[in-house]
Parts: sequence; C-alpha cells; structure tokens
Amino acid sequence: MNIKNLTNPLSLNNPVIVQILGICSSLAVTVKMKPALVMGLSVMVVTAFSNLVMSSLRKGIPSRIRIIVQLVVIAALVILVDQFLKAYVYDVSKQLSVYVGLIITNCIIMGRVEAYALGNKPWDSFLDGIGNGLGYAAILLIIAFFRELFGSGQIFGMQVIPESWYIANGGFYSNIGLMLFPPMALIIVGCIIWIHRSLNKDLQEK
Amino acid sequence: MAKKKFICKVCGYVHEGDAAPEKCPVCGAPASEFVEQKPKGLFSDINSNAYIILYSVVMVVIVAALLAVASFSLQDRQNANILNEKQQQIVKALGEDPLTAKYGDVIAEAQILDAKGNPIAGKSEADVFAALQDMKSTLAAGEFPIFKAKNGCVVIPVYGVGLWDAIWGYVALEPDLDTIKGIVIDHKGETPGLGAEISTSAHHALYVGKKIFDDSGKFVSVTLKKGGTNPNDPNYAHEVDAITGGTKTSDGVTAMLHDCLENYLPYIDANKAANSNMSNN
Repeated sequence: MNIKNLTNPLSLNNPVIVQILGICSSLAVTVKMKPALVMGLSVMVVTAFSNLVMSSLRKGIPSRIRIIVQLVVIAALVILVDQFLKAYVYDVSKQLSVYVGLIITNCIIMGRVEAYALGNKPWDSFLDGIGNGLGYAAILLIIAFFRELFGSGQIFGMQVIPESWYIANGGFYSNIGLMLFPPMALIIVGCIIWIHRSLNKDLQEK
Repeated sequence: MAKKKFICKVCGYVHEGDAAPEKCPVCGAPASEFVEQKPKGLFSDINSNAYIILYSVVMVVIVAALLAVASFSLQDRQNANILNEKQQQIVKALGEDPLTAKYGDVIAEAQILDAKGNPIAGKSEADVFAALQDMKSTLAAGEFPIFKAKNGCVVIPVYGVGLWDAIWGYVALEPDLDTIKGIVIDHKGETPGLGAEISTSAHHALYVGKKIFDDSGKFVSVTLKKGGTNPNDPNYAHEVDAITGGTKTSDGVTAMLHDCLENYLPYIDANKAANSNMSNN
C-alpha cells in the first residue's frame, strides 16, 4: 500500500501527464534543467509536508474553513521554501522568480490534500506527497532535457553539442529558437502523453 | 456545589439534583434509565462558530510566528547574496571575471554624488549599496551612486523601465570618461528570447568601445538602433544593434542609458578636465 503511494504517481497516476495538473509551471520553468530540478524538488517538499500537516490535523479541522486552512498551510510552506531558496541558491531563485510563489496555486498540491491527505493517515499522505512531487519533477526534467538540449545545446548548463558544429563556427547546426518558448513545452508534454498512453492502453479513453 | 442534571432516557424529563431520582415523576422509569447530562463545552463541537474562530486565531498566530522566525534567521544570508550579486555585476561591467577578481580588489571607492557632481560626505559603502536597492527613489532624491575602480575607470549604475518591468545595469567608463569599457544589463521580467536578450553577454559585448560624447564634446549617450548598425554611419561610435523583436525593451535601454548617464554630466565634465590636464602635464 505504502509503496504504491510512492510509485503510482510516477507513471499510471502522474499528476502532469495523466491528471493534467500543474501545466502552467511546467511550461514556464523548463527552459533549463537546473531551474526545473529545483522547482520539482520545491514542489515535492511542499506537497509532502502539506499532505503531512493536513493529514495530522484532519480530525480537528472544522470542515467549513477546510479550504482556508489548506491555503494557510500551503502558503506558509511555500514562503518557507522561497526564503530558503533565496538564502542558499540565490541564482536559481532568481530564475524561478514568481513561479516559486505560484506553487501555492499549483493544482497538484491542493488536489492531493483535498483528495488524499484529508482522508488518510499522515505517513501514507506524506508518501503520496513525495510520489506526486517526484512525478511532477520527472516530467519537468524530461521536458527541460529536450528544451535545453535543442534550445541551447546544453545539459545542466554544460555544452554537449560541440561548438564546431555551429554555423557561426563554420558548421551545419544551429539551436532551435522555438524550444526556448513555452508553446514548445506544451508540444513536448503532448508528445509525452502520446507515448505514455500508447504504452498504457488502460489510460486511453474509448 | 452546583447541581448536576440528569435526563430520563425514556421521556426526556430533566431532573436537577446530586443524584438521579429513584423514579421518573413523568413516566415512572427507574433511576437506571437516567443519564447525567455533562455541561456542553464552548469548544466541544468542531463546527461551532467559537471553535472555528479559536482555530483560525491559533493557526494564524502559529504560522505568523513560524514565518517571522524563518525570515529573521535567513535575512542576513539573503542580504549577503543580494550584495554579492551587485558586487559581481560591478566587477563584470569592468570586464573582469567575478570568479577570480573580487570586488574589493577592483573597486577603490564607492561614493554618492549630488546633482552638481560632488560627493556627498559621510556615505559609507553600505550606504551606497543600500541606495542601489531602491534606485528609483535614489534617483528621485537627486543622489547618484558611483564606483571608482583602482585603474581609473568608473562604474555608473543605471536604472530604467523596459517593456514589462524594471531594467537596470552598470556602465563602466574608461578613465577618459567617454569610452564604454563594459556594461552589464539585467531585467526583471522582459520577454524570454526577445527583450530578455539584453542581459546576455553577447549583447553586452556590443557596447565595448562605444563613446557617449560626439566629436564636438556633446553628450549623445549610446542608442540601440533598430535594423542594425552600419560601420560607415557617422553615428556608428554611439550606436549598438537593437534587439530583434524587442524594440520596446531596446528603447527602454536607450532611454535608461541617456537619462541616467546625463545625471553624471557635471561630474564627468569636472573630472574629464582634470584627467586630460594630468595627461597634458
């Protein structure tokens, strides 16, 4: 049971490509792999701990202000993450800019709290949060890999396409400028969903 | 002693006393049918208004305290990062690699000038960096920060508005206070791939060697020219290529350079004369 909480969101119940949640930030922060990784980890920390906190409090929360309590807990966690990023990885926090603050509105987090944490035990909820965060981070990294490789010729900031290939240096190659723009991320997400559904026939709508 | 309340389970009769009555006066049920009614607490029902208000207040206080502690304990580190970034940009504007050259090794003095180009006395380096934090009000107050490098160059912070949000940068001038030695421009939210290109080193390289005064000594600043520059153009020394697809941002940079450098004209005029005198002697 516990292990399924962790592994299900990675593929069969992936928040991005199956539940289609958190698309906004997966378009915005996937130009480079490093910000995508930091964003994925930040979301994972927030989903895991908001699930944990909400699940521990679930019996004492008045149902009428349930959503407000969720927002307060999630917002507090996001502010903490933002403060830590500013203090320890300042350059990345600059690249992520507003998107860290916007984790508050990431549908994955409230979705998991509402759908899972409020009805399950803290430890299970924590694992569910980690799993969903990982599922989100995995998709972000896949998108960022293609966008950074074809958009800038780099992976994690390291040049992988030889400089001599470039037209500027007498070669035949040039970076694909479209990769740097958000629409390309949407197209890549579409391709991932396509491949994923053709591998998992259960997910296909009739 | 306060009296307890007992309720008859059969008819609902409420008896007040120290113990349940032997027989219910209404329906005749025995004492075993009575249960004690516990006084209802104000907060016993989690959906009562009192509980909700108490819950919210406690939650908000706890969260506020937590965030205050986190913000307070991380403040120094965050400020150090911001300061470090500004210092690195200043070093970069001077054409040095911030990884090897430290701010302290390159910059001799940081000052704030008044509108006449004279340094305002009693401003420490910390004051100068504090002034950089909020350039808009610094410029509005008629204060103009300047950094003097050990090799005679000066670095002038500039600040303006691009297409979407603030843009800023550091212009390094050669000791002749005319030729641009280097520049760093950064932005808050210009369009990635278009306007945001102003922060790339490829764009910054275009400025090197450009002059902000024309041959007659008139201040012309540096203009970002739409459609590209032409070496045969008489203004070639005062123009760089604008960003393709980022015309508004390019215009913002042009205006920022002109308006901010203009503030330093009294200082430049005074010191240019001094510098050229020195070379004549």
